[in-house]
Parts: sequence; C-alpha cells; structure tokens
Amino acid sequence: MVLPPVGVVAVFIGFPVLAAVAYTLGRADGPNSVVSSLAQRQHIVKHGVTFAAYHEVLTNQSVLRDLWATVWITLLSIAIVLAISWAVALYLRLTDTRLARTVSALAVVPLFIPVVIASYGILIFYGPDGFMKTIAYHVGWHSFPSYAYTLTGVVIGEVWVSVPFGVLMMSSGLNSVPNALIEAARDAGASMPRTVWSILLPLNVIPTVIVATFTGIYVLGSFTVPYLTGPTAPNLLGPAMSNFFSAFNQPQQAEVMAMIVFVLAAGIGFVYVWANVRSSKRAGATS
Amino acid sequence: MSEGIAFGGLRETAAPVERTRGPRRGIGAAAGRLLGALFVLALLVFMVGPIVWLALRAFSGTWQYPQVLPSEWTFRYWRSVFDDPNLGHSIKLSFIFAPVVTVASAAICLPAAYAFSRFNFPGRRVLLISLFATNAFPKIGLYISMAGVFYSLNLMGTFLGVVIVQLIGTIVFMTWIPTAAFSAVPRSLEEAARDVGAGPLRVFLRVTFPLAAPGIFVAMILSFLASFDEAQGTFLVGVPNYVTMPTEMYTLVLNYPEQAAAVFSLLLAIPSVVLMSFARKHVMGGRLAEGFQIR
Repeated sequence: MVLPPVGVVAVFIGFPVLAAVAYTLGRADGPNSVVSSLAQRQHIVKHGVTFAAYHEVLTNQSVLRDLWATVWITLLSIAIVLAISWAVALYLRLTDTRLARTVSALAVVPLFIPVVIASYGILIFYGPDGFMKTIAYHVGWHSFPSYAYTLTGVVIGEVWVSVPFGVLMMSSGLNSVPNALIEAARDAGASMPRTVWSILLPLNVIPTVIVATFTGIYVLGSFTVPYLTGPTAPNLLGPAMSNFFSAFNQPQQAEVMAMIVFVLAAGIGFVYVWANVRSSKRAGATS
Repeated sequence: MSEGIAFGGLRETAAPVERTRGPRRGIGAAAGRLLGALFVLALLVFMVGPIVWLALRAFSGTWQYPQVLPSEWTFRYWRSVFDDPNLGHSIKLSFIFAPVVTVASAAICLPAAYAFSRFNFPGRRVLLISLFATNAFPKIGLYISMAGVFYSLNLMGTFLGVVIVQLIGTIVFMTWIPTAAFSAVPRSLEEAARDVGAGPLRVFLRVTFPLAAPGIFVAMILSFLASFDEAQGTFLVGVPNYVTMPTEMYTLVLNYPEQAAAVFSLLLAIPSVVLMSFARKHVMGGRLAEGFQIR
C-alpha cells in the first residue's frame, strides 16, 4: 500500500535527483543527454567524475555573494519567526482576552493567501509609493526607505509566509503544558518571566526546533518570495539557480547550486529528525 | 502555500492562566495593556496591511504618492481582466487541474497513510522521513533534471505532465497528515466494532474513516490549494499549452498595469480564502500538530 507514493517519489524525485548528482559530477549520458545537449559551459567527462563544475561555481564571486545572502537571510528569518511566534503563543497562553484572540486570528492570515499574491502585496506595500512610505511621509519622515527589490524585503516576505506555522506549532506546544505546573511555580513565588524561562521554555523545546528547522528549509529553497520581492543581485540561491538555468543556459551550474542548497537543507533536516527521535524515545515510543 | 506547508494547532482546551489569579492593578498593568495594544497594532499592519493595500489597488483609478487613498475609484481593471480571453482561460485551467491533482494525490497517498499508521513494517520510519527529505531538495533544481526525464517520456507540455509536477508538491502532507489522523483513531474502537460482528471493510467505512475524515479533509484542501498555487513547475512543464492562474501572475506582475495584477491577485486568493475557511476549525483545532512529529 505504501508503494504508490513511494514509487511516484522515487521515479519523479529520487531518479531526477540522482541524475542531477551525476550531471554535476560531469556525466552527461543517459537521462542527462537531453538537458546537456543544448547547455553551455559544461564540464563533462566520459568516465569517472569531475568536480570542475563545483569548483567553477564555488569560485564565482556572484554565486558566493548569493550563498552568503541565502545563509544570513535564512538565519535572520528563523530568528524573527521564532521571536514572533513565541510572543504570540505566550500572549495567547497567558491571557484570554478578545485582543488575544484577535492576535491569533491575525497571525494565521497568510494561510489564506497564495504566496505569489503575498509577495506581490508585500512588494507594493513596502515599495516606493507604498503604505509604509506614505505614512512615514505624513509624519514627516521623508527619507523613509523603500524595501521593494531589497534583501530586507525578502526577509519581510519570508517571515510573513512562515509566521502561521510558527504560531500554530508554538501554541499547540504551550497548550500542552498543564496549568497546574504554571500555577505551582507562581504560588512558589516565581515571577511571570521566571515561570516562562524555567517552565514553559524547557517544555517547549521540540516545537521550537520544528519551527526553526521547517522555516530554515523553507527559506533556503524558496523561489517565489525572493524572485518577486528581492534585488537582481545578490539574491537568494533559488532565483539565482533559475537565472543560471534559463537566462544563462547553464543547467549544470544551476544543479550545482541546487546541490549546495540541498546539503544545507539536509543539515537542518537532520536536526529536525534528531529532535523528533529523541523526544519519542523519551516518551517511551516503541516504534 | 506551494512551497512547503506545515501545521500545528491552537488547542482550545487549555484555560488561560491569568483568570485564576484575579485582576492586576496599577501602572504596571496599564503599561502591559498599552504594550499589548501596540503589539497587536504592529501585527495588524504587518500581517494584513499588504493584503488590504493590494485590494485597494484593484479598485483605484488614479492614486499618486503620497496620497493615503486613491483619488479616483474604478472597476475598469476588473472589466479588462474578465474581457481578456487569456486570463479567463487560465482561470478555467486552474479549476480543472486542482481537483484532478487532489483526487489523484488522494488515490495514491491515502492507502499509504493507512498502512503507515496501522502496520509497523521494517523501514517504515525511514520511508516517512525520506518522503520529507525529497521535499527539502530545492524545487527549481528538481525541475531542471526532471525536465530531462519528462522529455524522454514525452510528458513536456502535456496535461499529464502538469498533473505530475503539481502532484509531487502534495505528496508529503497528503501522506503525513492522514497518517496522523489514522493513528489518532483508537484501535480499541475498531476492535469493539469487530467484536460485535462487523467485517474489516465495514469497520473501516463506519469507524476508522469517519474519525479520520477531518484530517483527510484538511490534507485534501491543502493539496487543492498547493496545486492551485503551484507556479514554477507548471511554468516549466506546461507553457505554452497550459498556463494556469499563478503562472499567468508572473507575466502579469511584469507586463500589465499594477491594478490588473491586483485584480488578478484578488481573484486568485478567493478559492484559498473560501476553502481555508472551511478547514479553519480543523487546522486550528490541533488535530494536525502530530502530523509533523514523526513517530
């Protein structure tokens, strides 16, 4: 019964990925013959493998700038998403006012909006004639920057898209902490910040790890947000790959960049799997 | 939503802590309330602002910086979007692809989800994790090498090719979320039904399936939306024969007046808003938090 999805994944993801690995290592035969027949600047060997394509990409200054931008934007987005989702989830957990419920409704708005549209909305909202600049103008701040086509705009977009998952995951985690524990700490004289720090934080590590890893993997591989809101260069590796593939006609270089992103994402994915396995071991799961 | 999706849950069971402690008084409380209000305001601008701004744009005739609102309102661009045969066609195509992909994905993944939750076969966890790992590979890199495979299978520019490309983005949550939903059905209930004489099929149809239905329902809605919003793969495989709405959006943003893109955005957002409103209760209800924790 598990065969159909595993089969589909194997044929249409696993096989192409393996072919891509072979292609980046210089093999243009077999499934790569179609792609390689029209491509430019390839590093091809008939036997064995070559790392020439990797060498070329990793010494390309513009790619290195993109890689650097990808890494810091990913880290920054993770940090901001964690901060916002912790703040919203804590606010929800510790108070129950109409305001708090409004906050939870606001935080999941992006679930309802397709990414293409969100990116476009963010582009014009923070753009040169957008809302932020308009408001800043009316309060006398005439030099307020436009974030359209900047890396700041990309961070705003990535955070916007990732917040609902963070809030849902964190709230679910915080809600599973029993009230009795919190009240016991309060009765023993702990202040609210202290209670958060010594009770809620340690009990909510797994959801935090899940939010951080999923956000990281999402931002690393994202295309639409940086493509629509980001600058021409340096931008994230997603749009850069697309450029190398279609504009420069260098699919091999694009694949090398895909491998780099994949390795980074796999590193993050390892943290996610490790945290999950550790928690289910603790819970005494048998499988 | 097309680029990875994930869900936890806002459980409504946990009572708030503060209620039990009586009202706070004094300057501290007032400052706290003010801080809370500022936080909500900032969140409001950040989360909803871009969407409202975009919606205003769709009805604006003339709107010059730094006016806070348009100086002229119009439906002109709505008419021009509806009159453009290309745009109308892409809307229709999107509504054909999304249901087909959803049904295909359900047919492929739901039996697997059942197996993942009910049978503990060797390699079960590895398979679950590897489904996720494939999702971590950047899509554009995947599409490039997939193009080679598609050319040799004659799938480029075909209906089936587009369905497959969109299907791939739905497999992870079409497997994970229903797996968690099936696992949440207590086995004791199934056994009880069997004890009173129900056959295996009857047990599945009358006990297991109805209890797991909300999870499956959410997975199907997410799958529908993922297909509906998928732009990149469809662009690579489907153009020029099959141009769906989100694919059209890339062109629109670059080539049409801003207002037309805004109108099109609103149209594209309607199915998402409607469908997610149906699924809202279940998504927020926390049934799905387990979908993202591997067991």
